[in-house]
Amino acid sequence: MKRVILVRSMWMAAILLGVSFVSFMLMRALPGDFVLAAAGAQMLQPEVLEAMRRDLGLNQPLIEQYLSWLGAVLKGDFGTSFVTHQPVLHELWPRFLVTLELALIAAFIALVMGVSTGLVSARLRGAADWIVRLYNGFILAVPNFVVGTLIVLLVGLYFPELAVLSYTPFLEDPLGNIAGMILPAFALALAISVTISENTRAAVLEVSNQDFVMVARAKGLLPRTILWNYLMRNALTPIITVTGLQVATLLGGSIVIETIFAIPGMGQYLFDSITSRDYPVIQAIVLVAAACVVFINTLADIAYATADARVEA
Amino acid sequence: MSDAAIFSLAGAEPAPRRRLRPTAGRLLLGLGLVMLTILVLITLLAPLVAPFDPSATSPQSLEGSSSQHWLGTDAIGRDVLSRIIVGGRTTLFITFTAVSLALLAGLVLGLLSGYVGGWVDEVIMRILDVIFAFPVFLLAIAVVAALGPTVPNLILTIAIVYTPAMSRVVRGPVLSVKKWDHVEAARSIGMSEWRIVTRHVLPMVVSPIVVATSLTLAQTIFTVTALSFLGLGPPPPDPNWGGMLADARQFMELAPLTVVGPAAAIVFATLTFIVLANGLREVLDVGSER
Repeated sequence: MKRVILVRSMWMAAILLGVSFVSFMLMRALPGDFVLAAAGAQMLQPEVLEAMRRDLGLNQPLIEQYLSWLGAVLKGDFGTSFVTHQPVLHELWPRFLVTLELALIAAFIALVMGVSTGLVSARLRGAADWIVRLYNGFILAVPNFVVGTLIVLLVGLYFPELAVLSYTPFLEDPLGNIAGMILPAFALALAISVTISENTRAAVLEVSNQDFVMVARAKGLLPRTILWNYLMRNALTPIITVTGLQVATLLGGSIVIETIFAIPGMGQYLFDSITSRDYPVIQAIVLVAAACVVFINTLADIAYATADARVEA
Repeated sequence: MSDAAIFSLAGAEPAPRRRLRPTAGRLLLGLGLVMLTILVLITLLAPLVAPFDPSATSPQSLEGSSSQHWLGTDAIGRDVLSRIIVGGRTTLFITFTAVSLALLAGLVLGLLSGYVGGWVDEVIMRILDVIFAFPVFLLAIAVVAALGPTVPNLILTIAIVYTPAMSRVVRGPVLSVKKWDHVEAARSIGMSEWRIVTRHVLPMVVSPIVVATSLTLAQTIFTVTALSFLGLGPPPPDPNWGGMLADARQFMELAPLTVVGPAAAIVFATLTFIVLANGLREVLDVGSER
């Protein structure tokens, strides 16, 4: 057990190192001059540009630049925004929390939808199974930004009194904040609910075929008891793992939805930074989102290894 | 040696062709092929099929459906249907080229990794693990933003983003197939490694690759249209589905068809490849990925 955690954590550290290097190189591989981008629209003297280059450490070898950048990042210093000249972390943190909230609400909606359709599919079989699977196949073909745009369109046409595009900060009005998050979260949740539904179906079907369930049925336990105490209990691990992995990708994948619904999260921040070519911010967001995925992946691996002693480290 | 020759050698009559029973998998595959044909035909013949010039403006802006403009007109009076038909060209061209590149790279890396094994496998898989850690769409956005949104950059980006997944799909089955007896036999009679790989390993792993390619095509349509939706797509004036959807949002309550049209096109194209992938999976009997 301890060995599993140790090996996975070292593995995670190695991947994170690679991820940080790619994030670093991504912004150094830009066509054009980094300093000119930092200077923005101002026309500066060559001497000033040279001084900026020295300040940013751009005249040092690439590997030294990377190491000093990595050292700063580990201390929580992601550099300064080219646009606002504020520390990136300072601006990123509140937006990260907004995206996290959106992702968690989406995960909750997706869990409810996915587990219930998956259960219907696995328990009823026959026509119900087919309907659910066709529905899942269709939903998978509708990208989240299409769902989002259509929601905004329908609300605008038929319920104009619902203000979809107004975001309320959580501290001002917690209920209004959550209410405003439901529609965008729903748009994000649809595709995830399909994955959860398919996994629930597969997990429940697999457990149903095992001997201990037959024994439970043979000794006359109520179907309801079998469902909750035997089937769901064992099917839960894969379902939770899948949901976790999906939430991790949401942290980087809610860009379009945040833009459509005007939610001031990490995704919209990324979009704005791309428009204004604010490279330190882009770099920080890419790094944070990828780190979240790696972290949750590792947690899922450890959870699997803990639940199933046969998994090797 | 043809099949007929084998049968005559064995001194047996060729078995009568089995009638294909319409199973669910075959129905899905058939439906997918029909949808693909429609999609490809409309795309290839776009200039002939489109009723209007997609870039021609007219004073009749934001009109609803009429016998002339079936899906109405957009904010500067361009025919929506024609723009959808021609816009499919850009979107699908990027999709097909990018996935072909990712498939090619995935084949090379996956075969190298799986068949050669050892440190080659370690190095390739560890590098791909790092790329795999980035959420696909996020990486695509960052790379396109860094390189600039042009058609070649979009193709390159999407190819890079989907290469790790493709390589894994190839590597997995190769790992087991290379231990099979017929590979050992081929090697024992002194067949060259290249011939073993192309004749005896690759044909055995085609099915999962075909299914994965179809699913990747569906995901790529999402990625391309979503990038275009954010303004990181192919530059104007050529229409594309994601960009049309984004442009239409401003006036969508006045002319809902300007949104519904491109949305339907995106869903249809994605659905085509999902139906195709599911049909292929049933017919080729490929297990689920896990």
